Amino acid sequence: MTAGHGRRGIPAGLRTALVALPLSLFAIAGLLAPVLAPADPAANDLAASLLPPSADHLLGTDQLGRDQLSRLLHGAQISLAVTAAVLGISMTVGVVTGTIAGYLGGWADRVVSRIIDIAVALPGMLVALAVIGVRGPGVENLVLAMSVWVWAPYARIARARTASLRGSPHLDALRLLGAGPARIVGRHLLPPALAPCLVYASTDVGAIVLGVATLSFLGLGIPPPQAEWGQMLIEGRPYLASAWWLAYPPGIAITAVVFASNLLGERLAAGAERPSILRWVLPHRLLTRAAGRAASRPPATTGAIAPSTMSADDRSVLQVRDLSVTYRHDGAQRRVVADVSYQIKRGQILALVGETGSGKTTAALAPFGLLDPTAVVTGAALLDAGDGARQLVGLPPHERRQINGRRVGVVFQDSLAALNPLRTIGAHVDEAVRNAGRGSRHGATRQVTEELLRLVGLPDPTGIARGFPHQLSGGMRQRVQIAIALAGEPDLLVADEPTSALDVTVQAQLLDLLARLRDELNMAMIIISHDLAVVTRLADTVAVMYAGRIVETGPFATVIGKPDHPYTRGLLDAVPRPGAPPGTRFRTMPGRSGAGPDDTSGCAFASRCPVALPACVQRQPILVALGGAHRSACLRQPGGPSLMPEAAVGRNGD
Amino acid sequence: MSVPGWLRSASGDVGRWAVDTAGVLLALSAGTFALVLLARGDPAAVLAATRAGRAATPEQIEAVRVELRLDAPAPVRYLRWLADASTGDFGLSLRTNTPIGPEIADRIGVTLGLVAGSAVVALVVGVGVGVTGALLGRGLLRGALRVGALLATSVPAFWLSYLLVLLLALRLSLVPTSGMTGPASWVMPMAVLGLPAAGALSRVVAVTLREALDRPYVLAAQARGSSPLSIVFRDGLPNAAGPILSVAGFTIGTLLVGTVVVEQIFGWPGLGAYFVRAAAARDVPALQASALVLGSGFILANRLADVMQILIDPRSRRDSEVHARAPRRRRDGGGHVAATGHKADARTETT
Repeated sequence: MTAGHGRRGIPAGLRTALVALPLSLFAIAGLLAPVLAPADPAANDLAASLLPPSADHLLGTDQLGRDQLSRLLHGAQISLAVTAAVLGISMTVGVVTGTIAGYLGGWADRVVSRIIDIAVALPGMLVALAVIGVRGPGVENLVLAMSVWVWAPYARIARARTASLRGSPHLDALRLLGAGPARIVGRHLLPPALAPCLVYASTDVGAIVLGVATLSFLGLGIPPPQAEWGQMLIEGRPYLASAWWLAYPPGIAITAVVFASNLLGERLAAGAERPSILRWVLPHRLLTRAAGRAASRPPATTGAIAPSTMSADDRSVLQVRDLSVTYRHDGAQRRVVADVSYQIKRGQILALVGETGSGKTTAALAPFGLLDPTAVVTGAALLDAGDGARQLVGLPPHERRQINGRRVGVVFQDSLAALNPLRTIGAHVDEAVRNAGRGSRHGATRQVTEELLRLVGLPDPTGIARGFPHQLSGGMRQRVQIAIALAGEPDLLVADEPTSALDVTVQAQLLDLLARLRDELNMAMIIISHDLAVVTRLADTVAVMYAGRIVETGPFATVIGKPDHPYTRGLLDAVPRPGAPPGTRFRTMPGRSGAGPDDTSGCAFASRCPVALPACVQRQPILVALGGAHRSACLRQPGGPSLMPEAAVGRNGD
Repeated sequence: MSVPGWLRSASGDVGRWAVDTAGVLLALSAGTFALVLLARGDPAAVLAATRAGRAATPEQIEAVRVELRLDAPAPVRYLRWLADASTGDFGLSLRTNTPIGPEIADRIGVTLGLVAGSAVVALVVGVGVGVTGALLGRGLLRGALRVGALLATSVPAFWLSYLLVLLLALRLSLVPTSGMTGPASWVMPMAVLGLPAAGALSRVVAVTLREALDRPYVLAAQARGSSPLSIVFRDGLPNAAGPILSVAGFTIGTLLVGTVVVEQIFGWPGLGAYFVRAAAARDVPALQASALVLGSGFILANRLADVMQILIDPRSRRDSEVHARAPRRRRDGGGHVAATGHKADARTETT
């Protein structure tokens, strides 16, 4: 509703002001009550008792003939006065206590913190009632009782703020300059500690107003004949059924103030709101339509196959054409993957290689709808799903579930995060098995689960199935993820950085496992990696991505043996080679990654490229066939090893 | 002794929790006792007057003072009061000159019943609205739910009860206006007490659930083709359970405190109404007794949520050989209880 910014063009500041409006009205009504009130709130006129609203009495009169509007305004006044007094006392006590405790540190701080903790843990309403119960009603006792309830959070906030400032060099400098403790606390610690307390106070107003009204309603707060909102309701109680004007205005007044205060608190506490898991509920079309407009620039990558001639190549398990992924950020559309095309054949492994942020994971997961719900995917992705080709882009959620887990399995990068920490390994695999429609009864499901765990080389499947994710090593968790991905006997396995954060021995084992599975199950695989060395032993085809685009693709041996694109060369140079003599320095690429595909009109790599031409900055290079399936997007084509100029070596070398 | 391994390994945390809780309860009792020091007027004089039916003579007051042992120093009186209270002896009410203990025992059932009923309302409505809110996009309905929840937490209980009385009791004659007379008489108190709590709970459920559904394991569940419902109930809610539980505990605590107002409004013979009456009559011993009981309930409800959090999260159990193999009832399967003493090292990577 009100959180989240700029949806209806109202600036966030103005929205906060709107939210706080009832609070301002409350303050104005309270301050100006004697001026605004049309009559004396205490003037009885029994002849005019229980009159409905009229021109004389805008809100009618009560059982004693008193003007309701005047009483409401004076109620605001007393409520405001008590709230101000309570906040004043509580904040003074709280901020001073908290600041001094935070400044002193050591045992004094520990004792005070403990007292604050306990005070915060006590039920405020009971504390206030108990204090009034021994002291009796009345305004002073009410203020005292409410302050005993309210002070503790301010002490806690101030203490935390001061404790965080205590060790700062700024204070040390002040001490060296001869500032005494009183000066340091008073001038340099209290003001910063007060600031967050004031913010909290703005949201505390509602709780205090409600508390005052409740206590008065119970006959323990503001005593009659003083007009107070809670007091007005209890006094009017016998007449509520017949005189509606007695029942509503005070209740609405309290609710409005408390509501505004709560809303303000929520606004101040909330950061940017995260998008919801919209995609399960809303039809996919709504999402695609929303951003399809912005993403529909003409595809710059014109590969060998034009989109119109695209067909389900019966040897290709997945064929992706001109895939783009767009996110909305701060109202603007931003592409993170641009016009990416790739295909994988059965029994083959495609390696998507690129540095962090190059869009390789997004490009691989986009066809399967495994992106943030706000992502908009355009282009085409055909999956050869046994019974003919299926278009994956724009597939509704329930049809996705026929694909994900059955035709396609995914292994995610961070195996600890990708497993639900509260469920056993067995529960995860069981679920995957059931989703895939295998193993209906529980016993049968668990049998399949254990077979899968054995298949991925885990010892003691029975025991492991009973364990929790955090009890396994990273390598074992990765094997579990592979078992989950294999549950549906998929045609395609997508593995996102399957070996990152694992030690070298375990890495090698996992890669062997993937190779074995590819051979035994004749699956197609996409392996996403930033590390060329990882995919060296597996990949049949390589696609190198930079800034959301594929810059070079081709058979593995060709791309590695005769790289054309300067970025690919850079990547290869960064890989340590076994043959290199000790002491050889790796060449690393200058500059930084993280650019988007549409940030420049020319080649995104131009700024880091050692062989860039002036034209590179202006023209977007397209993928050009170099022979066979080898394609590269570089203006210096047709390329060859001779193109790498010596200048670049000199610049990057020593 | 057949203490399950995971329980034993969590016992360190639970022990620390118990010590902490005992500390807070002790502080509560000290604070409650200290009320007598804040009191205006002499309790002995008040009780003597109650007994005499009029202003008491100095001799009568002195006799009561000796009888109540009010002449001892405060720390001694505190320990004596605490020792008596732990046996259920809270002394005599200044208002009625009758023992307070039995009175509280009579009333606590009513209050606990009301809290239980309202807790059901709060949990069912709060979790329901919260889950719905988490699954909805930024639409009108979600906005309406959010405003409704916030409104529910903002409406004063006493005014909400008036509105309900006007509508349900007077206009529609569905329920009695007050008293505890039958099932229908429970509707309004449960609603007045439970709905604001539901509002607060639903906000927390919505926010934490949305956060839990934003995690990689949800993406992984989608990748293996799990249904949205399964993701919400197996992955989302359990992982959001921590914050939800602690707010639920807090909610039940506030319900207990809320009985003070609601029982008073609807004329229920519970502990909350007793507390208010004691406060109004400045009946200090009765006030202390009911404050101690209600306050302990509030604190325990809050802190029980913490200990449950320790117990439900497998990660908070110390990693040990024993518990990795500990029998554990599966959440999602039917009665598959693994009871195995079989040991196999699940944490050694095969190299």
